[in-house]
Parts: sequence; structure tokens; C-alpha cells
Amino acid sequence: MADSERKTVATGRYTSDLTEGDELGPVEYTMSRFIAREYGHANELHHPCFQGLDDAIAPPTLVHIDKLRLYKVACPAGAGPSARIHYEFDATIHEPIRVGTRIRTRGRVTQRYTRNGRDYVITDMQMRAADDDRLLISYRDTVILSFKAQASGASR
Amino acid sequence: MNARTSRAMLAPGHELRAPPRPMTRERMRWYVDIQDTVQADTGRIVTQPPTIHDDDDYARKNGLPGIIADGMISTNWILGLLVDAFGPEAAGRGRLRTKYIAPVYEDQVIIACARVRNAVRDAAGVSVYELDVWCEDDAGKKVTVGEAVVHSTSR
Repeated sequence: MADSERKTVATGRYTSDLTEGDELGPVEYTMSRFIAREYGHANELHHPCFQGLDDAIAPPTLVHIDKLRLYKVACPAGAGPSARIHYEFDATIHEPIRVGTRIRTRGRVTQRYTRNGRDYVITDMQMRAADDDRLLISYRDTVILSFKAQASGASR
Repeated sequence: MNARTSRAMLAPGHELRAPPRPMTRERMRWYVDIQDTVQADTGRIVTQPPTIHDDDDYARKNGLPGIIADGMISTNWILGLLVDAFGPEAAGRGRLRTKYIAPVYEDQVIIACARVRNAVRDAAGVSVYELDVWCEDDAGKKVTVGEAVVHSTSR
């Protein structure tokens, strides 16, 4: 399949269509106090650094939400016929994500393979400061697409 | 020797454990609701269509006995344990890898854990810890496994 055709398949449909080589994003937003605090509340991260009492930073695990932002742009129809589950989170944190930073994140599908009848997709992502392109987090995400029965993982 | 280099380090084998927490329906829903809420960034909660984490019927249609937790909750509880132990530096530099090896069902009691595998002090006096991290249930069954690297100037 030609690159242009593959891109057409992956964009505008489901994440179950994602194919090796697909480029995702970039997406851009400002890391607001609300994002850092609210994500902290939802995950019981009540530490002063996330709640804005100290030098406010965002939980680095928010890079997982950036994956969902990329999916939403590239595959707005959602997961597809069955649920998608998260299998592995792997983040290298290069520096703190300070509240107020303009963020630019992009990703690339680096592998898609089948194991035990399930389709795995690995996406490599980079979260950078948009102003000067500083690398904040490099992230590798592994999901199982079109999940059905015999659960082994547990998230999106 | 100054204060930065003389402070005691956690030795290999030292274990950190968070208090047990039941994976309630509410905790699962919090992670569902947070996803679109932080993307919208309006200050209001933004909900999303049914998921396997908050809708039993949808979960059953996907072959599950009921809702299961998003793995990122486990990852965040491990992050919280590391920040408890090492302070904000644990969230500002290093690595966190987690793999979700078993589903977590409603009301299953989960404990976030970490064990120091290796600890060295670099030339600048920063302690660099390598840790095994995991979440287990109250029967000791591991549901999430992984590793972390933490850079610390406090211990």
C-alpha cells in the first residue's frame, strides 16, 4: 500500500486502522494550572507540586492524555468496533513540565504486529516545549487494538 | 564531605509501599472523566461515550465480566508513591515504565510498591535510583509491573 493510501486509511477513521509509519500530530496546547491540578485530583496526586503550592509542575503521566489528543485528531471515529486497551506505558522524563509551558506533541506508529491473535500497536511520541523545542518527555506507548475477551491489560 | 554528599541513601532492597486502596467504581470513572476534561480545559467536567472502565454493559459486550480499571490509575499511584518518597524530583527527571499484566476489577484492593534495585551517587552529588515498581492486590498478586529511575538530591 502506498504511503498516501495508508494515510487515508488511518486518518479520519478508527485507531484500529493505525499502521506502521503513520505520523500523528502535532497537537499543541498550554499546560494550564487546571490541567495539572485536575489530573492530579483524578489520580489522587495531592502533592503540593501538582496542586500549585510549590513551583507548579504537571504530572509527567499526562503524556498519556497527549496520546489521546493525537488519536482524536488522526482517528476521530474512535477505537473501532471493539475496545482498545493500554498495555504498556514507558516515559523518559527529561525535565519538569512547568505549568504555563506551551506544549507541542507529535507521535509516530513504529510497530504494528499480531501476537496470540491480538493486534499490538507501538507509538513513539515526543512532548516538547513549543517555544524552543526543548524535549520534555519521550514516550513509548503500547496498546492492543480491537480488544475482545480474555483481558490481560486494562486501559485505553 | 558536605550535606549534599553525606546524606543517607536508600539501600538496594529497600521497599516502599503505599496504603491499600480499593479500586472503586468512582476511582475508575475519575480517570474516564479526566481524559476529555483536561483536553477541553474549560474548567468543567467533559464526559465521553461508554467505556470498559465505566459501563458494565459495554464491558460485557467486550467479553469482560464487568468494568475494569484503566492501567494509568496504577501508573499514577506508583508515581505518587515515588513523589511521596523522593519529592517533586521524581516527576521532573528519570523514567517510569509500567506494563499491565492483569485486569483490575471493581473493588479489588490495590497496593502500589517500589523496591530499590540499585543506587549510586553521581559526581554532582545527585543520587540516581533504579527501582522495580509494581502494583499488587491484597493477596499479593501482581497486576502491574515495571521499573523507574529517579534522580534525587534529597536522599
